[in-house]
Amino acid sequence: MLTLLEQLDKGSLWQSPGGIHPPELKQLSNQQAISRLPLAKQFVVPIPQVGEQARLLVDVGQTVLKGQVLTEGNGFIYLPVHAPTSGTVTAIKPVASNHASGLPVLSCIIDADGNDTWCDLIVSEPSALTNDEIISKIKLAGIAGMGGAAFPTHIKLNTASEIDLVIINGVECEPYITSDDRLMREHSDEILKGVEIIHRLLNPQRIIIAIEDNKPEAAEAMQQAINHSKLPANSARVTVIPTKYPSGGEKQLIQIITGKEVPSGCLPSQLGIVVQNVGTAFAIQDAIYYGKPLVERVVTLTGKNIHRPGNYWLPIGTPVSTALKLVDFSPSSDQKLIIGGPMMGYAINNAYVPILKGTNCILAPSNDEISPDSDEKACIRCGECAIACPALLLPQQLFWHAKAEEYDKAASFNLQDCIECGCCSYVCPSDIPLVEYYRIAKSALRVEAEEKVLAEQAKQRFEARLQRLEDEKLAREAKAKEAAEKRQANMKSSDKDAVAAAMARIAAKKAAQSNDVNQQTDIQNNQAVSDSVNKKSAVSAAIARAKAKKAAQATPPPSSAENNTLQQDNSIGNVAEVSMSQQDRIAAAVARAKAKKAAQHNQVITSDVVVNDSASVSTLEIDSTVNDKKAKVAAAIAKAKAKKLQQVGIANDTDGNELADVSSITKTAVASSIGSEKLVTESKTDIGSLDKKARVALAIAKAKAKKSPQGHDRTAADESSSSLPINLNTQISNGTSTSSDNEIIADAEPENVEQDKKARIAAAVAKAKAKKLQQTESSNVKSALSDISTRASQTENVDTAALDKKAKVAAAVAKAKAKKLAQQAEKKD
Amino acid sequence: MMTSIFIAVAVLTIAAIVFGIILGFAADKFKVEGNPIIDQVEALLPQTQCGQCGYPGCRPYAEAIANGDKVNKCPPGGTATMEKLAELMGVEPEPLNQEAQEAVKKVAYIREDECIGCTKCIQACPVDAILGAGKLMHTVIAKDCTGCDLCVEPCPVDCIDMLPVETTLKNWDWKLNAIPVTLVSESLEDR
Amino acid sequence: MAFKIASSPHVGTTLQTAKVMQRVVLCLIPGIAAQLYFFGYGTLLQIAIAIITAYAAEATILALRNRPIKSTLADNSALVTALLLAIAIPPLAPWWVIVIGTLFSIIIVKHLYGGLGNNLFNPAMAGYVLLLISFPVQMTDWVSPMSAAQQSVDISYAWKVIFNSTSDIILTGHNLAIDGTTMATPLDTLKTDLSMGLTTHESLAKPIFSSMTGLGWFEVNFAFLIGGLIMLKLKVIRWHISFGILTALFICSSFGFLLNPDTHVSPIMHLFSGGTMLAAFFIATDPVTAATSARGRIIFGAMIGALIYVIRTFGGYPDAVAFAVLLANMCAPFIDHYVRPRTYGHRSGS
Repeated sequence: MLTLLEQLDKGSLWQSPGGIHPPELKQLSNQQAISRLPLAKQFVVPIPQVGEQARLLVDVGQTVLKGQVLTEGNGFIYLPVHAPTSGTVTAIKPVASNHASGLPVLSCIIDADGNDTWCDLIVSEPSALTNDEIISKIKLAGIAGMGGAAFPTHIKLNTASEIDLVIINGVECEPYITSDDRLMREHSDEILKGVEIIHRLLNPQRIIIAIEDNKPEAAEAMQQAINHSKLPANSARVTVIPTKYPSGGEKQLIQIITGKEVPSGCLPSQLGIVVQNVGTAFAIQDAIYYGKPLVERVVTLTGKNIHRPGNYWLPIGTPVSTALKLVDFSPSSDQKLIIGGPMMGYAINNAYVPILKGTNCILAPSNDEISPDSDEKACIRCGECAIACPALLLPQQLFWHAKAEEYDKAASFNLQDCIECGCCSYVCPSDIPLVEYYRIAKSALRVEAEEKVLAEQAKQRFEARLQRLEDEKLAREAKAKEAAEKRQANMKSSDKDAVAAAMARIAAKKAAQSNDVNQQTDIQNNQAVSDSVNKKSAVSAAIARAKAKKAAQATPPPSSAENNTLQQDNSIGNVAEVSMSQQDRIAAAVARAKAKKAAQHNQVITSDVVVNDSASVSTLEIDSTVNDKKAKVAAAIAKAKAKKLQQVGIANDTDGNELADVSSITKTAVASSIGSEKLVTESKTDIGSLDKKARVALAIAKAKAKKSPQGHDRTAADESSSSLPINLNTQISNGTSTSSDNEIIADAEPENVEQDKKARIAAAVAKAKAKKLQQTESSNVKSALSDISTRASQTENVDTAALDKKAKVAAAVAKAKAKKLAQQAEKKD
Repeated sequence: MMTSIFIAVAVLTIAAIVFGIILGFAADKFKVEGNPIIDQVEALLPQTQCGQCGYPGCRPYAEAIANGDKVNKCPPGGTATMEKLAELMGVEPEPLNQEAQEAVKKVAYIREDECIGCTKCIQACPVDAILGAGKLMHTVIAKDCTGCDLCVEPCPVDCIDMLPVETTLKNWDWKLNAIPVTLVSESLEDR
Repeated sequence: MAFKIASSPHVGTTLQTAKVMQRVVLCLIPGIAAQLYFFGYGTLLQIAIAIITAYAAEATILALRNRPIKSTLADNSALVTALLLAIAIPPLAPWWVIVIGTLFSIIIVKHLYGGLGNNLFNPAMAGYVLLLISFPVQMTDWVSPMSAAQQSVDISYAWKVIFNSTSDIILTGHNLAIDGTTMATPLDTLKTDLSMGLTTHESLAKPIFSSMTGLGWFEVNFAFLIGGLIMLKLKVIRWHISFGILTALFICSSFGFLLNPDTHVSPIMHLFSGGTMLAAFFIATDPVTAATSARGRIIFGAMIGALIYVIRTFGGYPDAVAFAVLLANMCAPFIDHYVRPRTYGHRSGS
């Protein structure tokens, strides 16, 4: 019994199952040496990793040199992209990809300057480099597998497993393709230099260069190159294998050379085997010895419709259309353009796609070279596919399940082990595109697997969210409890007398202010309106409209059985009626809401007024004494805002009168309100600076006011409010007034409002809403469509008049709404 | 005669005891933890947590199915999921009770300059896939969005769109006949 | 310009279904010729009737099923079915026998199961079994083999017999006009004799067994064997099923013959009489109804071979090819399920 190594040295071969012998047709392109074509004027360099793992280093208009790196990234599978020639980046945009789908990918368009100037290349002697340096050089050179799959080479060469055997793949089993054949014939020494580097990195016991027996010249050249290479004696050999498709497949080649099978779902490195393409070895040599990144490759341009078939050095990124033009391509009707060989290559519909690192062949066959399109016929279960399958699958069972979209059953027949070599389709007497079915099934399975992962993630996130909400709720409850306890404690310690005193004082104050209340209610009203016209107006308008829309959607459409005939007869009228009734209903609801809000307003307003009153008083006092600059600024801003909002208000309203009226007052009201509010804080800090204790007390008072519950516990609030003013009262009157006012607010209308500010906003929003709806109501009653148009025009007015960004947004939203409503109206028609 | 009756009774009794013991051991030894059917059902559900079934999430619906609820209440899963559920539960497949959504997977997208920062969509999102704070613009973490639609309704300014997931080279489905044959403009080709 | 898109591979074999079927038909020619030579021209008429009926039935049913008619008819599968059935039935059976058989084969067995590729049973054999069970008299009266010189069944005679609607000729064929023209097959004779207590030697002494396995039958089987070998060479069929049938039949019959030569005939008799070779190369190798994997096919073939022997020896019918094939057809999915080849990179059994 010979060991594996002895058998390798003997050149023993094993049988790979299945396989076919399609016509080779390699003599079309392998007769002349690899030559160069004139440089293309424009290059397309796809940068698909940008945005995911990489960053783009160049910008439109920038000049780049040949070999200059265009992207930067540090992911594991990241490979840098290099400029294929010197020139200018003229665009960075999605361009159709060199992929079976032809989907656009982000690409750099580089206009060549024709000089083809290299950037600075770092030439080094490999013996001076460490292994890690070599690996990083290979990575930075952007070297990917040149056999077609374009898997990053540095990963293969940096494997954790112990490697016993390196197979250099020069099999090239696909018909037509001869790029590796020519490369081996002409550059065997360079390839061997690359192999030496691979040998150094992986230190395998044997290196086998596998070549099919239809390429005797290449085998001869490689054998000679081995003889004068620096590889250790007897560690490398050329093994000639019988010609059969697909013996160049990685798994098949391993089986032929070693008799071992790569376990399903595993990498060959787990068997201690690495397979590298001869082109990759050449590129490694170029990168290490000359510092050249992978910017060009040998491409076989062949097929009977290419009049100068052969192998050419083409810069990566050369558009296929350009390359074809240079070799006298004359398309026939129904021309197919195949990237790769006829067995595994994909047809592209658009020739303006770049040549990629894995593009080894462009095939432009005449119609008699390839099978004509024929309809798929019934499978007769002849089993030829199973005989041809190199992976020992049962293609017809896979087909059966894939066609029925029973992908899980297809997977149970090991669909994932299909290498898509196309042998089954080749032998199929019924012209069934089996591989296509498998690809679709595989992608469906992949999507399914991904969705499963995503679903699992979604589930976890959902559960995490539930957990978070639960935790928050518990935390809130705990806090509330704590606060309640505190309040309880406070209440016990508070002085009844103080409460009484405070109550008395409050009453007195209220009485004193009652004169002003009416007057100030107006102002407050206006202020509320102006507030709503202020940044919230647009928002609330949008909200109101969205609500109106939802309400309209909520009412059942007039499509019930008894309505049907009626609707057919008089659909327009019916719809109009319906829309009117809807609007009426909305209007009624709005009116109700308005009434309610109005009722609330009185309360809100009183409190607000008080606040403003006191605040302004304190402001005036403090302003004069402290001379705060900031306060002034704030006031100025407020004024400016008010002015703007006034404009908005005018533009926004059709009746105008009401708001014009309002806006005139707004100016002052807003100024005072906003200014004062800001100054309240100022005043507070100032007071604080005067007296720390007072500030603390104030803060406590404020907090108390905030916390005072809505309906119940009024006495608690009262007590706390009264207790504090006493403390404060003794020290600073200003502070007292502010805090006590706060308390009054809480006292005055504890049902609706926790904070005066919130209350004001709510009131404003409600008002604005009501108003808007009133408008829409009136116009809608006239007719739905006219409403849409008027609103559209209104909003346009706003658009032009208003400077406020939010208003613009609201206008856009309103427009969209109007459009939607119009569509709905049409639909109903 | 009597003895044979006694023998029969005795044999039956002994047999009953023996089998009872065996069954008891079996019940103990092969005890099933939890209710695996719920997990199986849940594994089939799409985990969008959209609540369109009327339950607050996929797990509750899975529990409901295990307790005999209908299998046709999951629009995001579509007919395929319904059929799998029907097969698992051994019931007849029924048509979905809501209009089946198009099979296209969608994700929410917030038109960011129109967002007013109301946080309502954040609260509606069952998988916390919307990022943002009050009065600040929000955005959707597209990879975590399940396309459940729940954020569209609460948005006061209607700035959330459900956009179909873009086809890329990675998720392309290999359906060749779906490729539009486009003519590349000659100018581009000639440059 | 936009180029055409197609899925890889872009090249394919030129051996398409229609061509495969065509080759099957061509390879049937030696057998048919031998049959014509020894059993007269009745078979030729049967073939003609069967083909016309088959194409008509196929076209009608395709039209009803809204399937492409022209391209499906062009796949020649109906032609093969019709031919096989026509060869299998007695050359002078009345015309309605072959018509019923063909209609049943095409409509019920093939199209009601989903058309070519979906049928569970071999259409020709299912049709044959229907006829055998329904019309046992007509189906067991074979023309007595003649040497060329004595040929008495010419076209006009066959026409007269086949289309004579008053079927007394057939029913009473043994003693009327065609006395000496029709008779039981050798296997039938043998079976009857054995049941009457004669030994094989005594039975084989009868004139019908003047040739090695019965006059004419050996030659016809030999001709089918040659046709089958040509098919193997042309790779129209693979060797597994035929090998399985012949080997199993040989082993079983050798075993029986060695055990008791008096009640069991020789393996040669089994291999070269009745429909053995026709079944082994042309009927059982119908891929649609056979197992699919190589190993499965050997098992499938062996099963047919063993069943042929068992039914011939112990069953009530003299020949067993049709029953054996149908029984094996039933087992084909089962065989496929259990005989799955080991996929590359998987350990055996997974």
